[in-house]
Amino acid sequence: MANINSTVTMKKKPLGGKSDLRTRIWKYRYFYIMFLPVLVALILFYYLPMVGIRFAFYKYTPFAPPTFVGMANFKRLWSTPSFWTAFRNTLEISLVNLFLSMIISIVVALLINEIGHLRLKKTVQTIIYLPHFLSWVVVASIFMIVLSPQGGFVNQVLLSLGIIKEPIYFLAEEKWWRPVYFFISRWKETGWGTIIYLATLTSISPELYEAASIDGAGRFKQTLYITIPSIMNTVIIVLILNLAKVLNLFESVFVLYNPLVYHVSDVIQTYVYRLALNANAPDYGFSTAVGLFKSVVSCMLVLFSNWASKKVRGRGIL
Amino acid sequence: MKEKFSFKKQYRARTIFNIFNFLFFTLVLVAVLIPLIKVFVDSLDASGSYGIRLWPQNPSFSAYKIIFSTTALYQPFLISLYVTALGTFLGLFMCTIGAYVLIQFEMPGRTLFSYLLLFTMIFSGGLVPTYLVMKDLHLLNTLWAIVLPASLNVYNLILMRNFFEAIPGSLFESAEIDGCTPFGIFTRIVLPLSKPALASIGLFFAVAFWNEYTNFTIYISNPKLFNFQVKLRSLILDDQSLAAASSEGIYAKTVQNAAIIVAVLPFMFIYPFCQKYFVTGITMGAVKE
Repeated sequence: MANINSTVTMKKKPLGGKSDLRTRIWKYRYFYIMFLPVLVALILFYYLPMVGIRFAFYKYTPFAPPTFVGMANFKRLWSTPSFWTAFRNTLEISLVNLFLSMIISIVVALLINEIGHLRLKKTVQTIIYLPHFLSWVVVASIFMIVLSPQGGFVNQVLLSLGIIKEPIYFLAEEKWWRPVYFFISRWKETGWGTIIYLATLTSISPELYEAASIDGAGRFKQTLYITIPSIMNTVIIVLILNLAKVLNLFESVFVLYNPLVYHVSDVIQTYVYRLALNANAPDYGFSTAVGLFKSVVSCMLVLFSNWASKKVRGRGIL
Repeated sequence: MKEKFSFKKQYRARTIFNIFNFLFFTLVLVAVLIPLIKVFVDSLDASGSYGIRLWPQNPSFSAYKIIFSTTALYQPFLISLYVTALGTFLGLFMCTIGAYVLIQFEMPGRTLFSYLLLFTMIFSGGLVPTYLVMKDLHLLNTLWAIVLPASLNVYNLILMRNFFEAIPGSLFESAEIDGCTPFGIFTRIVLPLSKPALASIGLFFAVAFWNEYTNFTIYISNPKLFNFQVKLRSLILDDQSLAAASSEGIYAKTVQNAAIIVAVLPFMFIYPFCQKYFVTGITMGAVKE
């Protein structure tokens, strides 16, 4: 902001000596004007909300002006079991999903890499990338229909094969919800997750494989001793990058959960959403406090990831 | 003799592996495609006698006709198109001007600007404070609440900056000597040279805006402004809005299936032609953050 103001005051001054600050600012005057829309959006939609974080220390509902209550919201948060359920669920769901996504994407990427026929390889890639681009609403809708207990495809197949006697309500039973959620997540994102590993695999020098096969290593040993060590760096980077996003779980859960399975599926963001927007008595103060807790933990995770990334590859994620 | 034998053995192992691999990917493709195919097939079955068939009995497009003749169903589709077009345009505008300013390494304040942008990736106000700001700006129940905040996407902006950085600096210098203004350099050199990046990032924006759902549920309560994702969601959750369909003898679930297909249709049209741009986009990000 300061820079923009000084451009305005500098307008009538003649161009000064060498690279003194005013001349440089004058030289770049058009760029400051160009950056203005970005700066305005940045302040309005990213920095003004940060000012609103103060409401975490207020009692604030739509019906009364905010009053300062100090740490009361955080004390309440500490002793609210449904918050801790949401917190635990967020960590459990995210971390299991992270682990599954790595294993499955790596295996699929290695196997895609072994497809010799080029057209076939391209076709497989095109098809498995596809679900990534479908919205979570579409994916949830598809699976709510396919997994429905009333005539859903999966239940019908299982019934006609005699595997089950009664249709299973996959998305409304606590013991089924998480496995089904993980399956749907993997269905959507596995293909997309392979891209980064495939990019790494193509960059491995063929000479390494030639040398290994001269030394008598078969395909399996080549994979074990050349391919896997070569992608290890990428694996760690992907892990670090995703670790930073662990608490950001929202839309995928929001479209797949329902009140019957809150106990195993409610995550921090869905909890905040219900508290703030979907209740009869929205509680802005308390929900801001929950959001702030999440933001602070997320921030620490990002900074940790950044530090870890610098250690591993000499470059941060930011 | 011994060597020959081992080659033969390796060849056999390779063949067995190839067969296994072929079977594996057949299974993967079936798992990916069956839910989609089943939804498509059932959307053509007006009578609703689905069963476990993967082909339609008496195929008809009546469910699609319902969607494109009921105002409450096709209006959200038009809203989606509008938001996608406007959002993608604004998104690319913000990305390119932001990225262009960030590659002016001598510019005073450049570092401050990039830190201001990067900080938003570490920390955010959160859902409720952002909602309250939107309320104070009188953006609730307007499509600007969807389009404006999302058009400034810091991740995409940084991808764009990385792409701009790769443009040789000598081009800028010679253009400047020839009397080109900064804006002229931007429109005549930077943008034409960045067509692949514009295509990738533009597609990322388009998909994100087409698929937008969360922000609609937070900021929009006026049903006239719902996009197709929101409408689809309400179709799936409560069948009441399908009264029109059942009055014409079409099974409500058939309309639900058809609505899913309509929601992915525009994307399916462009996907086969644009797939390479999507992949370029992600590898661009992966290689140089």
